[in-house]
Amino acid sequence: MPGTDSPAALRATGLYKQYGKDAALVRAVDGVDLEVAPGETVAIMGPSGCGKSTLLHLLGGLDRPSGGEIWIGERSISHLGERGLARIRRHQVGFVFQAFHLMDELTAVENVELPALLAGRSPRAARRRAKQLLDRVGLADRVSFLPSALSGGQRQRVAIARALVADPLLVLADEPTGNLDSEATLEVLRLFDELHETGQTLVIVTHDSRIAATANRMIGMRDGAFVDETRLTGGTSGSLGALIGLEG
Amino acid sequence: MGKVLLVARLVARDLRHHPTQAVLLLVAITAGASTLSVALALHGVVSQPYAATRAATAGPDVVAAMQMQRTGGPPAQLTALKHAPGVTGSSGPFLLAFPTALEAGGNSDPVIAEGRDTTMAGVDQPKVVAGGWVRPGGVVVERSLADLLDLKVGEWVQLGASNDYGSGGGQIAMQRFQVTGIAVTAAIQPSPISNFMHPSGFAEPGLVWVTQSAAAQFANAEGGPFAYTLNLKLANPAAAPAFATAHQSGPLSLVSWQSISVKEGLIISIEQAVLLTGSSLLGLLALASVALLVGSRMEEQTRRVGLLKAAGAPPSVVAWILLAEQLVLAVVGAAIGLAIGWLVAPLLTNPGASLVGVPGAPTLDLPTVGIVIAAAIAVAGLATLVPAIRASRVSTVRALADSPTPPRRRWLSTKVSAWLPVPLLIGMRLASRRKRRALLSAASIAITVGALIALLMFRQHSQAVTSMGGLYRFSGPGDPLWDRGMQVMLVFTVALVVLALVNAILVTWATVQDARHTSAVERALGASPDQVGLALVAAQLLSALPGAILGIPVGIVLYVAVGRHNSTVPSVPSVVAVLLLTLIVVALLTAVPARIGARRPVAEVLQAETA
Amino acid sequence: MQQEVVLAMLAKEPSHGYDLRARLRLALGPLGEAMNDGQVYVTLTRLEKAGLVECEQAAGLPDRPDRKVYALTAAGQQRVARWMSDVSWPRPDLAEFHLKLIAAASAGLADPLSIVDAQRRELLRRLRDAERAAMAEPDRSAAGLLLEGVVLRLQADLHWLEACERAWTTRRDY
Repeated sequence: MPGTDSPAALRATGLYKQYGKDAALVRAVDGVDLEVAPGETVAIMGPSGCGKSTLLHLLGGLDRPSGGEIWIGERSISHLGERGLARIRRHQVGFVFQAFHLMDELTAVENVELPALLAGRSPRAARRRAKQLLDRVGLADRVSFLPSALSGGQRQRVAIARALVADPLLVLADEPTGNLDSEATLEVLRLFDELHETGQTLVIVTHDSRIAATANRMIGMRDGAFVDETRLTGGTSGSLGALIGLEG
Repeated sequence: MGKVLLVARLVARDLRHHPTQAVLLLVAITAGASTLSVALALHGVVSQPYAATRAATAGPDVVAAMQMQRTGGPPAQLTALKHAPGVTGSSGPFLLAFPTALEAGGNSDPVIAEGRDTTMAGVDQPKVVAGGWVRPGGVVVERSLADLLDLKVGEWVQLGASNDYGSGGGQIAMQRFQVTGIAVTAAIQPSPISNFMHPSGFAEPGLVWVTQSAAAQFANAEGGPFAYTLNLKLANPAAAPAFATAHQSGPLSLVSWQSISVKEGLIISIEQAVLLTGSSLLGLLALASVALLVGSRMEEQTRRVGLLKAAGAPPSVVAWILLAEQLVLAVVGAAIGLAIGWLVAPLLTNPGASLVGVPGAPTLDLPTVGIVIAAAIAVAGLATLVPAIRASRVSTVRALADSPTPPRRRWLSTKVSAWLPVPLLIGMRLASRRKRRALLSAASIAITVGALIALLMFRQHSQAVTSMGGLYRFSGPGDPLWDRGMQVMLVFTVALVVLALVNAILVTWATVQDARHTSAVERALGASPDQVGLALVAAQLLSALPGAILGIPVGIVLYVAVGRHNSTVPSVPSVVAVLLLTLIVVALLTAVPARIGARRPVAEVLQAETA
Repeated sequence: MQQEVVLAMLAKEPSHGYDLRARLRLALGPLGEAMNDGQVYVTLTRLEKAGLVECEQAAGLPDRPDRKVYALTAAGQQRVARWMSDVSWPRPDLAEFHLKLIAAASAGLADPLSIVDAQRRELLRRLRDAERAAMAEPDRSAAGLLLEGVVLRLQADLHWLEACERAWTTRRDY
């Protein structure tokens, strides 16, 4: 937002991504403008195929836009090459995938320390930080477990810890609870809530309204474009009792 | 019947769905089959040239010759042999005039001129491979001499008597003759005559055929030694050596076909040697690389096995489906390879004429076709069998998850790699993740390097041997046959290198493909494309280096087995050069697909993997 | 407060009014904070009139509602037993909303889409509240389980509202 003291954590203008040509031209993302303030949690919801995953990949530098500009922090990333994008992913952006994408031959702590090692930190420092983060996500007792020995919710928590290892400006989550059951979803929700409390900026793409309801802002997306926006910081029209039909 | 159709349909569908895989495999099998068929065609023909020539020319069992000091008709002692006990047929006596000077292309060489009738003889009728037989004014040149002097049918040469005994002398009464034909013969003159040393170091002088009258002219002109030769056919060819010893006396000398055969066997032209060795090496390399490729492809079929089993196919049907696909590719590849071999084999021999020393072009006879197809099927079948059995035993669930081996903690490599710079970190973990793939790469490279080193040793050995004389018929550079031999060696080297390259490309490409998902995740976590590219090269080299080093003993073994020579040690600088070159090529071949892949946006790759 | 609920709460043993209240509060957790205390007593009185519950005065105390001890009658016990095996499920009231939209469209009272939007926003806020409450509950608490049910219902309703939005975008009448 222009005029505020701290720059937006994420800003995109006129973003679009298209595939194919002529008659087969498809715009997966069609003219998106987005601004996320630091410390905000933004949820992007929409039916499958609406382009929300593509949008997230663009924002995280995992894919190149066909047009438009993206800034992370103060830095424009839309014209960076793969090398520059890799640097952004090392230091500024943490990504959480629906399929977790953990290395199944590495233990939880080895998985979490990997981005730090890739960024060139010493193995000792990386290990220390990884253990810290696993503790923070509540998996201190599962540090040496292989992913195959962890439940879905635990695996996603490892993935979230991994996304945090570089202390990124921005965490992007693509359907983080897509592969999880209700109880595991609650685990992840709690974690996101805690992250929000500590001031982490989060952008979550989901079709699960439970996740969306924890955000500050909820943006609806259809056919590649934003269609509405809801701010969820206000109180409800009734007390909790109304939820079960108790008149207050 | 329904099952067969189903299998056929599934196979066709899979081949259509993964065309690149199928095409690569087909290329490998075709390359293997074509080299194998060329190898077999040449090998069979080259290894027994004498027997083939003998059969084609109605070669004699005994050759008798008698030197004459003065002019006159055929000696009675020689002619009497025609009626000796045990003789069933003969041709001659024919006049041998030597040395006769043959002048062509500015050079003059002494040759033996044999006088023949224009009609066909019953025993030892030289087989014409180009042009026609003798006629007045014409000369038919023996095959190897024609090669040496680069003579073609229709050319004009000069023939005349000569008194050149190697000490330098003059030519007398040269006349123009036209080369009417080129022929091969199984008859070689007995010792005193064949000991006539050609100034250029021939073990035997060259042979030409002219009309009886022309030969008489040469013989009479100089008044020097000449001879009559008689070809005999015996009732019992095995008794030829005894016959020869029995009738040997004084100026009459005889030689049996067995001795000639041994001599011919000893005298291997450099070209023949190259063809033998080269074809064997190529054949071996082809077989090995196809086997490795097919074996490694089986790894990727595990998920398909899972899907089939989940759909209810019993293990036998699953195995059949896997086998059927490989067999289809094997048979098609073998057929294409045979066609290529049929086209290429004649090119490797004397253009326009037939193989050295043997009449007739190397055709792909039925046994060769049978062997190639059988080899392709056998390789495909064997390489499929073990993995197919293993795959169909794996539990369906594991197969669907596409991890044929459960992920194991790679304790040491994980710990060690953490301390290495990023590209080596990623590379080492990649290599240890796919141990079987790494082993296959190493084996492939070992065999490739081995073949190259064997070839290198052969070149070394053949160059070193020229000074030994005896074993090789022709001396060295400058000799057209030597040059052609080296040309053929070059062709084989190129073929070997091409096959080695195809092998290397397949190996490196497979490594990069394999590592796609892992490298995409690493990139998503912040590894830069350069780091990932270097990592892939490092991972490939980690398996290529031990493979290349292993190739040295492999090469020595191959050379001993194939080259039929005593073992020698290859020269150190050349070995080092081969090793370095191989590693550099492997690194480059990995770097290219790695770099291309590393430029793709991460999201594309990840989505393709989870799709 | 459903009558059967209060009856069932008395099935274990007779209890005071305030006992009942406390147990209900405990089972409902934060959702029960809005419970009107008076409701319980109103229900108890109705049950007494219907002969399903009888009340005894605690000896020697003035006639105050919270001092009465309530117990099930035989009829009450039967009712409870029947309720235990009853499988009717609380009815969701979708028909009302559905008709609201149709009426709005046909009579031109309001834009159905904005009604849907407003309802979605409200439900989202409720979802948020319910989730907050769920996260605040310790693991495996009774109230936590109830909250999960509330959350899932709200989710289902939100799904339907999304479907309504898609449908009403393309059709202007039904």
